[in-house]
Amino acid sequence: MMGFMGASSLLLERDEPLARLRAAADQARAGSGRLLLVTGEAGVGKTALIDRLVETDHGMRVWAGSCEQLFTARPLGPLADIASTADGRLGEVVGRGAPVHEILPVLLDELRSHPTLVVFEDVHWADEATLDVIALLARRMATTCSLVVVTSRDELPVDHPLRLVFGALAGAGVERMRLSPLSLRAVRELAEPLGFDADELFQRTGGNPFFVTEVLATGCIELPSSVRDAVLARAAGLEPQARALLEDVSIVTGTIPLQLVAALGGADAGSLAECLASGMLVETANGVVFRNDLAREAIAGEIEPLRRAALHAIALDVLRATNADPARLAHHAEATGDAESVTEYAPIAGQQAAARGAHREAAEQYRRALRFAGHLDVVTKAELLERGAHEVYLIDHFDEAIAWLMDAVELRHEAGDVLAEGDAMRRLSTVQRCGGRRSDARDVGERAIALLETQPQGFELAAAYGNMAMLAMNASELDVGLVAARKSLDLAAACGNRNAEIYSLNTFGMLGLLSGDERGLESLERSLQIGLAEGRDDHVGRAYIHLADIAQRHRRYDLIDRYYGEATEYCIDHGMELWARYLHVYYARTELDRGRWAAAISAIPPSVDVPGTPLARIDAVVIIGLVRARRGDPGHWNALDEAHMLAKRSGELQWVAPVAAARAEAAWLEGRLGSVADEIQSALQACIDSKAWWWAAELAWWSLRAGLDVPDLELAPAPWAMLLEGRNRESAAAWRELGCPYEEALALAHSDDADDLRAAFEIYDSLGADPAAAIVVRRMRELGVRTIPRGARSTTRANPAGLTTRELDVLRLITQGLRNSDIAEELVVSAKTVDHHVSSVLSKLGVSSRADAAREAIRLGVQDGEQVTQR
Amino acid sequence: MPRYLVERSFPDGLDIPIDDNGMKTVASVVATNADLGVTWVHSYVGDDNRKTFCIYDGPSPEAIRQVAQRNGLPVDAITEVRVLDPYFYVGDPNAS
Repeated sequence: MMGFMGASSLLLERDEPLARLRAAADQARAGSGRLLLVTGEAGVGKTALIDRLVETDHGMRVWAGSCEQLFTARPLGPLADIASTADGRLGEVVGRGAPVHEILPVLLDELRSHPTLVVFEDVHWADEATLDVIALLARRMATTCSLVVVTSRDELPVDHPLRLVFGALAGAGVERMRLSPLSLRAVRELAEPLGFDADELFQRTGGNPFFVTEVLATGCIELPSSVRDAVLARAAGLEPQARALLEDVSIVTGTIPLQLVAALGGADAGSLAECLASGMLVETANGVVFRNDLAREAIAGEIEPLRRAALHAIALDVLRATNADPARLAHHAEATGDAESVTEYAPIAGQQAAARGAHREAAEQYRRALRFAGHLDVVTKAELLERGAHEVYLIDHFDEAIAWLMDAVELRHEAGDVLAEGDAMRRLSTVQRCGGRRSDARDVGERAIALLETQPQGFELAAAYGNMAMLAMNASELDVGLVAARKSLDLAAACGNRNAEIYSLNTFGMLGLLSGDERGLESLERSLQIGLAEGRDDHVGRAYIHLADIAQRHRRYDLIDRYYGEATEYCIDHGMELWARYLHVYYARTELDRGRWAAAISAIPPSVDVPGTPLARIDAVVIIGLVRARRGDPGHWNALDEAHMLAKRSGELQWVAPVAAARAEAAWLEGRLGSVADEIQSALQACIDSKAWWWAAELAWWSLRAGLDVPDLELAPAPWAMLLEGRNRESAAAWRELGCPYEEALALAHSDDADDLRAAFEIYDSLGADPAAAIVVRRMRELGVRTIPRGARSTTRANPAGLTTRELDVLRLITQGLRNSDIAEELVVSAKTVDHHVSSVLSKLGVSSRADAAREAIRLGVQDGEQVTQR
Repeated sequence: MPRYLVERSFPDGLDIPIDDNGMKTVASVVATNADLGVTWVHSYVGDDNRKTFCIYDGPSPEAIRQVAQRNGLPVDAITEVRVLDPYFYVGDPNAS
């Protein structure tokens, strides 16, 4: 009876999208995999389109999974659907609740070896882990022979997590496609044969295919005013028992097993047959499902609250017996107000979600459990609070985590379990530390140790010492930190707690390095190796972050060059984007310090100001502020003032010191170093107190320039020490050796020798450091130097990317594939000079390799000496 | 979005012919700018064609430099500017 609105008419005006999907499938099968994102308003016919694609002869195996509108999404729901039909390893890894980074390689293997059409439907309801899978797949689709189709509604709230994912969806094989509603012509084609006023129908429905179909299905010429009315009008046409059945089953999202249909609506086969015949329910392999979720929502909205609760209770009972997903059970338990079941299933669901990396959903499950936790005993509740706090902390809800842990400490105290109380305090202190509440963290951390030292020593005390070591490190109290880290390390090893042992090995190594002990590197790298070998993500991430941090603090460029690539790859593959942001910012700082300003700016991730990275932002704005100040660009004080404010708020030397040094340099460039004298002096003293010699030496230099008294530094790093002692040329050579051209020029610029000043000018000029170059020119005048360079030479300025004519020569030779030694021969200069030119060229082009430079040269059209806009 | 005055030097003179080629050059600059959200509002060109003063809207000076580099255009200096309308100060003619 519904023949006129079957699949074929629903697919009016879908030839082009369908052709695109088929073309993508062909390309995929030919070895160039694709990910296609299909968006459109609810009811626009996304599912119908995908169904049609699946029906066509595409020669691929089909894996389909969909997301459902639960209060809290099932973690990896669509993959679980797929795994239930797929054999072999995918079924195994998904089945045991493995995290995304373990599932992904297996999934990719499958998509590379067997042409597969993978469908993820309705991802606007997806959990965090599913979104991770999609984002990671997108980057690699081109290497498969499969097609992934993702469908989503496109009216998303601005803060919907999907927006971030879609924004970042990029990759060689990613395409997007938006489905439009039907045109007036199509609506006419459908409506006029049935005697409807097509124009009015079009206006009323906006051409939404689902809405149009519902109205036509009611058969009554008077038009309903909304989709909901249309659906209800259509349901009103059913026999009363069938309509009741439809309402009963509408409380279930997704596929409804037949057993559940019977339990909810009675075993009257006739009613079910009527619902199916009407087209409102559709049969699937393992049950029935609403043809469209808009219809389900409309019907479910009509049920009275008490009846709804009773229906959810039935669903809970039936599904419990079938071993259903705990997230689904918790959903029904909450809807029926069954506190015991909520507190039984929500924590399990939370644990599973956490294991899969869906921390947002895990946090939601713990919140749900805690809302119903009134009947629990203190110990169970404390456990719930502690586990939940970890999840909400991971999604940046520090205040919530702190509040929960404070409750947990109290409950542990009430229960009289001193070890557990101390351990809860240690957890609280850790979250306070990461949330920027330093003094609270210190206070609670010390109390935890005091309490635990009264007990038999074990894992809890080892963890408390480990926490103290980190507190001391952030406070730059290296000696206190080293003692605590040592204690933690020994105790953890003694009681066989691997986690605490690796953690403290890392902290111990970092503290050693910070205090100038090279052996620290060994410990840090060992913690990395152990973490990698044993698959402990957190420890690996921490080791990488610390290695990158030490590289930027101590100008250890060998470390950043060795680790940056693998570290970012690892963090992104393991869903640790937050950590990757820190890596990028540290890397940006090393690029800045190596004179590659454009590369430094491009390395700063745009997301550096999102929640969770307030501290990475400080370094990022310091880099931006310094680049602006050095180039003479506007806005440098905006950046440096923000950095100052943020650093002051953090109160930690690791942010305060570099900010003070950057502000000193910017003030020097403007000839008003005196205005920041107080800032420099207090930061300098703090650096000396904490033995942070790299920053201390830099700040000592600016203090000296500001005419302030400078205390002796025990251990200033060589290039700064030479400069402070007035050995400018040696210092310049040391900076050059290190690979820091701006500082090399700084050393030369403060010499009284005309040749040194000229050399300083050359370097500044090649870096595009106009304000510093101008200072050198002024000094040359004051010293009565005769041949003074004419500011930045105009020929330089006209060359693309601000390259000097010499650099342009070098670039052309690079493009021809010459090695540095060949270039040196060609241009009759030393190999060292060529090295310098090459790094300057790379920096100005904002690239990191010769191959990229060659590509850029070709793009700029300079490989044969021509330019774009000049005669 | 901030507005910037970008000064550029062309020692051999700027040459954008008033024909298809000129149009292509300008269109390609505009398209490259758009990648980073930079808008070229307009330019003032010195009468010897050796110096230009270009008004740009853009998210940051870094973005201005990055697109300049991609376009192969020189940058001498970037200044953040605002519009001053002298007639803003002219009073209501009907008031005494």
